Amino acid sequence: MPEIIVKPSDLKELWEMLPGLPAARRYLAGGTDIVTADNAGAESSECWIDISGLPELAAIKETAGALFIGSGVKISEIENSKAARKWCPALAAAIPHFASPSLRNMATLGGNAANGSPCADGVCALVAEGAYVLLALKGKKRRLPLRELFLGPKRTALKKDELILAFEIPKRPHAGVYLKLGPRAYFGISKAAVALTAELSGGTIKRAVVALGSVAPVPLLAVKTSAWLAGRQLSPQTAAAAAAMVKAEVSPITDTRSEAQYRREMCGVLLERALGGLR
Amino acid sequence: MEKLSCVGKSLPRKDALIKATGAAQYAADRDFAGMLYAAAVRSPRPRIKILSISDAKARRVPGYVTLVTYKDIKGVNKWPVVMHDYPFLPEKEARFAGETIALVVAKTAGAAKKAAALVELKYKELPFVADPLRALEKDSVKIHGEDNVFSSFVIKKGSVDEAFEKAAFTAEGEFSTNYQVHAYLETQGAIALPEPGGGMTVHSTTQCPFYILDAVAAALAQPYHKIKILQTVTGGGFGGKEDVPALVASHAAICAAKVGRPVKLIYGRKEDFQSMSKRHPGWAKVAYAADKNGRLTACRVKYVLDGGAYSTLSPIVLWRGTVHAAGPYKIANVDIKTYAAATNKVPCGAFRGFGQPQICFAQESLIDELAEKTGMDPVQFRLKNMLEPGDKTVTGQKLNSCCGLKEIVQAVRKRSGWDKKVKGRGPGAGGPDVVAGIGFSATYYGVGLGAGGRYLDRAGAMVNIYKDSSVSVSVGNAEMGQGALTVLAQIAAETLNAPYEGVKVEEVDSSKVPDSGPTVASRTTLMSGNAIVDAATPLRERIFKTAFDLLVAAGADASKPMTAGGGVFSMGGKSVEFRPVAAECWRRRLKMCEQGWYTAPRTSFKNEDGQGDAYVIYSYSANAAEVEVDLKTGVLKVKKIWAAYDVGRIVNPRLALGQAQGGILQGMSWAVYENLVYKNGIMVNPNFTDYVIATTADKPEYDITFIEKPYKDGPYHAKGMGEVPLIGVAPAIANAVKNACGARVTSVPLLPEKIWKELKKA
Repeated sequence: MPEIIVKPSDLKELWEMLPGLPAARRYLAGGTDIVTADNAGAESSECWIDISGLPELAAIKETAGALFIGSGVKISEIENSKAARKWCPALAAAIPHFASPSLRNMATLGGNAANGSPCADGVCALVAEGAYVLLALKGKKRRLPLRELFLGPKRTALKKDELILAFEIPKRPHAGVYLKLGPRAYFGISKAAVALTAELSGGTIKRAVVALGSVAPVPLLAVKTSAWLAGRQLSPQTAAAAAAMVKAEVSPITDTRSEAQYRREMCGVLLERALGGLR
Repeated sequence: MEKLSCVGKSLPRKDALIKATGAAQYAADRDFAGMLYAAAVRSPRPRIKILSISDAKARRVPGYVTLVTYKDIKGVNKWPVVMHDYPFLPEKEARFAGETIALVVAKTAGAAKKAAALVELKYKELPFVADPLRALEKDSVKIHGEDNVFSSFVIKKGSVDEAFEKAAFTAEGEFSTNYQVHAYLETQGAIALPEPGGGMTVHSTTQCPFYILDAVAAALAQPYHKIKILQTVTGGGFGGKEDVPALVASHAAICAAKVGRPVKLIYGRKEDFQSMSKRHPGWAKVAYAADKNGRLTACRVKYVLDGGAYSTLSPIVLWRGTVHAAGPYKIANVDIKTYAAATNKVPCGAFRGFGQPQICFAQESLIDELAEKTGMDPVQFRLKNMLEPGDKTVTGQKLNSCCGLKEIVQAVRKRSGWDKKVKGRGPGAGGPDVVAGIGFSATYYGVGLGAGGRYLDRAGAMVNIYKDSSVSVSVGNAEMGQGALTVLAQIAAETLNAPYEGVKVEEVDSSKVPDSGPTVASRTTLMSGNAIVDAATPLRERIFKTAFDLLVAAGADASKPMTAGGGVFSMGGKSVEFRPVAAECWRRRLKMCEQGWYTAPRTSFKNEDGQGDAYVIYSYSANAAEVEVDLKTGVLKVKKIWAAYDVGRIVNPRLALGQAQGGILQGMSWAVYENLVYKNGIMVNPNFTDYVIATTADKPEYDITFIEKPYKDGPYHAKGMGEVPLIGVAPAIANAVKNACGARVTSVPLLPEKIWKELKKA
């Protein structure tokens, strides 16, 4: 653990204190990744900036067209938010798969994204929700489609000191599913995960977004499969064809958690089941 | 069985309150004036030649005190455990990644850790061997002797080749099992306090305080009476705190001796994974033969354990595995050959079951395969071949009447609805792709150290009744979560007719009781229990005589018999409590403190042919597992385990149930989830993120039955049970998977990936 941990009380104070801090610094939100990394000897910052008290990151807000989830909102708060459950059904479905109840009381979506892991359950679901991410660096703000935040394993488009403020999810009535294959019943990192959102009209898929976790260097938006699904009848045949297609879009690896070939096949199984679970 | 007032009751755990409230003081919780902290410098590679070690950079860390290497060891630089091949600190060569090469002492734990990372180690990599089967090949790199064999055993009986030639049915298979990490909540740790005059007191988490005594005395070249080992409240052991705490404590003691101040050494989880003992990975080739009636006629086994870089406990782990390798069956012709191989990986040692679960997975899986070939139901096949009182084991040992194996098999068969379920495997509850199945296993387990550790199989106790009638009991076996403090207090209270609340059994102090051997092999209830009975019996005579006198003096009718129970003595309508009786004993200046001793009866096992009595007595288990398998993903869910045990008389039913449930869950976790991965001699997942163990959400439903066959030489007829529930879980699950979906998975853990591959083959 670094010897210096600072805790600004608002964004203004944060931007003011930055120049005085050691160069090797990181943001600390819920701490569930960074403290674990520190314990394992994989974290060597000289300074942590504790952003858990920043009021600007702490709220879930609604406008006419979008839902905003502050980057500092605890996962368990999202779990209990009616608005989030209504407008982010895939995210809501992902939360029970997100670590453990005690970790969900600490962890934040901002941390989940900034960590840049391809297996982040919350992020994978948000990609399927078509979310945008709002970033700030001192006075400068920018807005990216969330999937563009991720460049590779543990690599993001965040500039030095750039902060995730919130996630913006466009309001559109849709169904959402999240299916995960983990190493045990719960509280594990996925071998493969599928997030699916779909706007349905009768038996027809008007629009679908398929995102996958742990099967590519980044939380993966399955562009081809998503596009192919638009306008299709929701049927076992469609599900089987989409499953075959998505297997070609992923690029899983073999590591201690699973094997590439198995993961690829499971993407198909999970997507087929996800489509079958749409109502 | 006799009527008892303490034994056989679910009395509350002695340590429940301090553990539940967090008041318990584990090793890391203890602090002493002037205490310094140590951290280990570890080998980064599987096998290295050490060229130099420098603390030039480490010295710059504020709070740095000193570097400790093998040069600081006053005694012989060989840890005295079984084969004495493991140096306390390596001098020229380090043999596995994670091995402690040196230690850094500093004023804070953080400074010690930081400085240890800055110690510069210059080394040359040496060729290494990681695979145990490769290690046994003639042309492999040699790291132990001329053949990389730490130890080897045989059991030979009858004419095996002939029996296989004549057999109507045979089955043969290769099986393997992976490591298991003990995953105790409390990592290893010790504090060493130098005493004036060259002695050392060591506080340590451990299940074997006397192994620490041996090691610290050797490392410091001090006589035993100058060394005192105090066991701290121990947060889990499972075998992982058998041998290796002696190494950790010795390191702390070497540091403390050098700096002349108390030194605390507490392991982080990662280094605990990398360097502390594990369940041995096992490999076995097993073959069974049966005649046309389905009677087993022969068994051939080759069994190999991956011992790691040093022998530690491998020889005795292997021996237990050898003795039990054919399963609990009557077999006339047997050829068992076993090997513990040296590899450049973490040294493996004791883990609940001690070399049995690995081979049990192989032989009990194969028994199902053979039963299928004969066209018999797996349970019927087992019943036909099962050991009964009067039968001989594969070592030629004749079993006495204390063998309830058939009864427990029948109990599980009936309770699980086996006969119906095994025929109609059907859809599971988890969706259209999910199928259900059921599988069986039966095991036996030699209680105590047996012939493999016959010289260690004794235990002492001291029972002291104070003037206020409170009782303190000192033993040499340790509480590590299994409930020893409670069960042993029940035995003491029963023998003395003292109130249970007034009896305290303490954590081990090596200066109070003689070397009682290790707290392993499910031996504590039996060995320490008998030692307590031995110590308490003369006290009981004095107390009962005094109680009788007091009752007579109070006007009791002495023609009626005196009864005693729950701390009260009664006769002819009068009664007196333990407290005034104890006070009267003291007034009469009777001796109110006694030592007790128990030695296990002799065993006749001979290493030459593996024949003779291997253990004094056996416990037994039968298991049925019901599983669901997802045919598309290979995901396995264990729904329910029915188990029955013959472990003799149960001293505390609630604790016995806890041992059973914990053993089943730990066995299931090993069978289904736990997967420690080595790549090129380096452990890849030394953490709980990627080394996955079962959680409560994975827990199966339990149905547990005890059939109490009294053991005449056990304390109140108890045998031993700690390890028994784990051993047969994995093959029962594997057999259930086969029953559910047809996939025979021959390696543990039964990962979804493996089941999925088997399903694809079909």
